[in-house]
Amino acid sequence: MKIKKLLSILTAVMLSVSMLTVSVSAVDPYTTYNYDAWWNAVPSQAGYEVVRTVTGADIGLEQLSDPSSEFFISENEPSSLNDAKDFYLSPNNEFYIADTGNNRIIKTDLEFNLLACYKTFPGSSSKHTVTDENGNEIEVDTDELKSPYGVFVDANDVIYIADRDNQRVVKCVEETKTSARILNEYYRPDSELYNSVSFYCTKVTVDAAGNVYVICPAVNKGAIMFSDSGSFVGYYGANRVEVTAEVIRNRLWRKIASEEQIASLTKSTPVEYANFDIDDAGFIYTVTEVANASTDAVKKMNPAGNNILEKTADNDAFGDQISVTYNGTTYATRLTDIYVSDEGFINILDYTSGRIFQYDERCNQLLIFGFDQEEQRGGFSNPNAIEGYGDNICILDGRNNDITVFGLTEFGGYVHEAIKLHNQGLYEDAYEIWQEVLKRDGGFYMGLVGTAKALYNQEDYKGAMKYSRLSFYAKEYDQAFEANRELMLRNNFTLIVVIVLVLIVVMIVIKQLKKRGKIPQKLIATAVGKIADGVKSAVGKIGKGGKSK
Amino acid sequence: MIYDMKPWQWVKHVIFHPTEGFEDMRWKKAGSLKVAFFIVFMLFVSQVFSSRYGGFAYNTRAYSDVFNIVPILVQSIAYYATWVVANWSICTLFDGEGNMRRVAIYSAYALVPFIIGNFLSTAISYGLTLDESIWYTAIYQVGLWWSVILMVFGMKACHQYNFTMTIVSMICTVLGMVLILCLLALIMSLFQQVYVFFATVYTEILYRVRS
Repeated sequence: MKIKKLLSILTAVMLSVSMLTVSVSAVDPYTTYNYDAWWNAVPSQAGYEVVRTVTGADIGLEQLSDPSSEFFISENEPSSLNDAKDFYLSPNNEFYIADTGNNRIIKTDLEFNLLACYKTFPGSSSKHTVTDENGNEIEVDTDELKSPYGVFVDANDVIYIADRDNQRVVKCVEETKTSARILNEYYRPDSELYNSVSFYCTKVTVDAAGNVYVICPAVNKGAIMFSDSGSFVGYYGANRVEVTAEVIRNRLWRKIASEEQIASLTKSTPVEYANFDIDDAGFIYTVTEVANASTDAVKKMNPAGNNILEKTADNDAFGDQISVTYNGTTYATRLTDIYVSDEGFINILDYTSGRIFQYDERCNQLLIFGFDQEEQRGGFSNPNAIEGYGDNICILDGRNNDITVFGLTEFGGYVHEAIKLHNQGLYEDAYEIWQEVLKRDGGFYMGLVGTAKALYNQEDYKGAMKYSRLSFYAKEYDQAFEANRELMLRNNFTLIVVIVLVLIVVMIVIKQLKKRGKIPQKLIATAVGKIADGVKSAVGKIGKGGKSK
Repeated sequence: MIYDMKPWQWVKHVIFHPTEGFEDMRWKKAGSLKVAFFIVFMLFVSQVFSSRYGGFAYNTRAYSDVFNIVPILVQSIAYYATWVVANWSICTLFDGEGNMRRVAIYSAYALVPFIIGNFLSTAISYGLTLDESIWYTAIYQVGLWWSVILMVFGMKACHQYNFTMTIVSMICTVLGMVLILCLLALIMSLFQQVYVFFATVYTEILYRVRS
């Protein structure tokens, strides 16, 4: 009886303990993953979490239709965003949101409080004739915006707007809280080099020299480049053609086919890029929005238009490595926007999966966050643009009509801190922080690499070998191994010499004994033969035993 | 020289006397099938060893979780079997004197240096850095080409050909191997389809019976 009582008490205690542990464990609101050394997706810690979601009401857009407000435009001015395509954080830390569906540019501060809303350009009432994609000439008003797709602001608060349906890029400055004054307009280049009839510009960026770079989806020769004065300069940094089996086949056919046959072949043309960003040093980063693009998916270009992105990993794929079909939908990475933070982290936004992939300046995969469930916070259905300030990343969703602000978690903070030190070569300083990272995600790839490097610098070669094996980094392992071997040889030098001497002595002794006939001439052969005979007889005995039974 | 040797002593004799060893063996009608099969098994073991072991920098694949033994089985035992069958078939047409048993034994004996080289190179890769990979490659290549030379002389002795004829027959054998393997793959896929057909019929009947 006593035992029974004791048992029941014990089970009760165990149950309560197990329940306690369940109630204690904290769960992320969604699963996060990362890629390991074999490019398998493995569960990981969340590096970013949603801090806030900003809608039109949060910005205070109802003031636009409030006659008593200084932002008043008209009674029926919509008070929410509508399919906003782009936003930009100016050097003076103000957000400019291209509210495409409502034909306006909204200016807010870092807390997303309304500062201005540019809807019209008073004083510029002239009409302009443009050609649409079907070759029809249409007249457009130049005193208002029509589907502004992209926006850029320079340090002097000069705003560049890719006014898509008016087929122009507008350079303007603020005049009142609700209107702007046009400084310059960039229309379809009137040049032999420009062979598209229309000029549906979607994105615009400006470098320090005032050169204006414009992306038109119909033009695949690169970004269209205007000088400060507005004249067409040329194209900038075209993508290369992705080499596929079809491209190679067409190339072979071209050598042997007749003129007519060549004309019927599809031309191998590069894909235009979808978006760009410019960093503080003036390098332009571009992304290409094509399913699973592997050639020039992400580029960092110098002023000459050459890709100077450093590829440390042996793969050059950005985003998810493979397309996945799940619940009838195929997810293939489509990189729609790029944001390079002040610290050099490259964030790319995948339109299909709503994920943000963060890399360091050397393209090491750091964090992946975001997903495509629009009903939940942190999920997106039409993620159109990515921006950021400080440690925060903001995503503009064109269907939820909101902006989601992500903030760094503790884990993400450690990763950032460590990788910054790591990339400066301060491996030993990064060591402690990498340990914090590995405590939270034991398989974090860069954490393993960083630890291996740090241990190597601390001359803990065994540890470096272990961690470079875990991170599957053969070159790093080889270095640590070489150092370790040298150390071992140096420490055990006497022992090795003694062993070699003993072996030589033994060999001489055996030779002498053989000469005198004390042991057989073919020592090893005889021994092996004897062992073989022994085994044979033993096997025979076992066989006989089995038979007799 | 006394040619009264045990089977494994014959192996050693053949390896170190490439030109005469096989002729001696033929003359004495020596060579054991058991030893030959043991050697082929060791070939398989050495392939497994070299793919699953080795210094990390040399063979990172060995340290991944994924391991498939079927390709190695094909690369050792299946290749050997097809080599024997193809060589025997070709050389029967080319007036070769060897029977299948002899082809099997002589080919297997010729493989020994390759097996040893395979084991040795994998073993020393534990103590080498990538800069010293010349040693690794050297041991592997010496084993390989030693085996190739042994194979040539083995086939020459086996079928009593002259040198040119041996080379021609060996090239034909390789072509024959390709043919055999192609046909095997074809047959396997065919049987697979037949199997799938019967399996579907079976499940279909099951569903009908149940409902």
